Amino acid sequence: MLKKINALVLLSVALVSTAISLAHHSPVVFDRTKEVKLSGVVKEFRWSNPHCFIELDVKSEKGEVEGWAVEMNPPTYLVKAGWTSKTVKPGDTVTVMVNPLRTNEKAGKFVSITLASGQVLTENDPIPAK
Amino acid sequence: MTVSAKVFLVGFIVAGVSLANPSAVLAQAAAPPAQPGALTPANLAKARQKAPFELTGTWLHDNKSSPNSWRFVPPTFKLTPEAQAHYDAGQKATKEGKVYRDDIGQCWPAGMPLIMTRVWPIAMIQLPTAIYMTSAFMNSLRIIYLDGRSHSHPDIVVPSFNGESIGRWEGNTLVVDTKYFPGHHHWMDQGGASIPASDQLRIIERIRMINENVLEIEYTMTDPKSWEGEWKTTKRWNRVNEDITEAECWPDLNDHIRSTSSSSQIR
Repeated sequence: MLKKINALVLLSVALVSTAISLAHHSPVVFDRTKEVKLSGVVKEFRWSNPHCFIELDVKSEKGEVEGWAVEMNPPTYLVKAGWTSKTVKPGDTVTVMVNPLRTNEKAGKFVSITLASGQVLTENDPIPAK
Repeated sequence: MTVSAKVFLVGFIVAGVSLANPSAVLAQAAAPPAQPGALTPANLAKARQKAPFELTGTWLHDNKSSPNSWRFVPPTFKLTPEAQAHYDAGQKATKEGKVYRDDIGQCWPAGMPLIMTRVWPIAMIQLPTAIYMTSAFMNSLRIIYLDGRSHSHPDIVVPSFNGESIGRWEGNTLVVDTKYFPGHHHWMDQGGASIPASDQLRIIERIRMINENVLEIEYTMTDPKSWEGEWKTTKRWNRVNEDITEAECWPDLNDHIRSTSSSSQIR
């Protein structure tokens, strides 16, 4: 049983990591095989087409504040995953998982968020993985 | 002033204008008869055969069959040397995890045929004289004229990213001929097969309703400046029960969508 559950979890991870989301720009620049954990304070959250975004201030290991840009899907797809325009606001402390840019610049494609309340949210992908 | 003096004066002014700007007179003489607009009441009221199908509604490209079904990538192709150079640069960028000339990401219009397969739905309104398609993506308007008109003269048409589309009914199929594209910042695919769409691109669509909720379009595309022969592909759309919402490409939003300005963009 445990093996079955593990296999299911692995399959789900594989499906999520290969999901292609596409909106107004090409997603090939993000490394879908990597996930980076960003814990920080929300500087700005924009509820907007064609993309939502979170600007996040993240403290580096050296204690310096680094600004990360987290790119998200359009609101219609976030609503289907339980989001509203008020889900996060400036000043919120959150943890965000992203697929980073391959160039090491501080931007990534949103994967999931853990809110201050402990609630975890993902986003619906416009194009499901197959 | 006497009447004859007035006539003389008017004649003098007209002659003066004509001499000063002879092209104005020539242009007037050569102007084609005015085509009534597709929304002109008399044009709408004209007796026509009943359309075999009615596609008024909101439609979303079917991505369920394959995550790459939105793409326009030919299965086999022979490109012109110029197009091949772009294609090779695109392939090199992809191998390096970069993207070559993603002009849509820089707020250029997607254009035909990519505008049809965005992840935002398209609102279609069918009238006897035309079909108006508005993609939520960048409010992109596409009009297919059904009122029997011909394509505009090439010397007066204004090229556009969605082109000029003229449709006619062939049995239960709507056959649409689209041409007159700008020939710059216009690509057949995005972040994949970097094949440019030139000003010679021509697209024939055979549109069928599979049932009241499924629309199918068979594309036959030619572009002698970019590839040899005909490129054929077929795609489907599903009716969706929702409204479109504006999804404009805002330059200030792109400042936050940092991947659009990152070093991963090959311009």
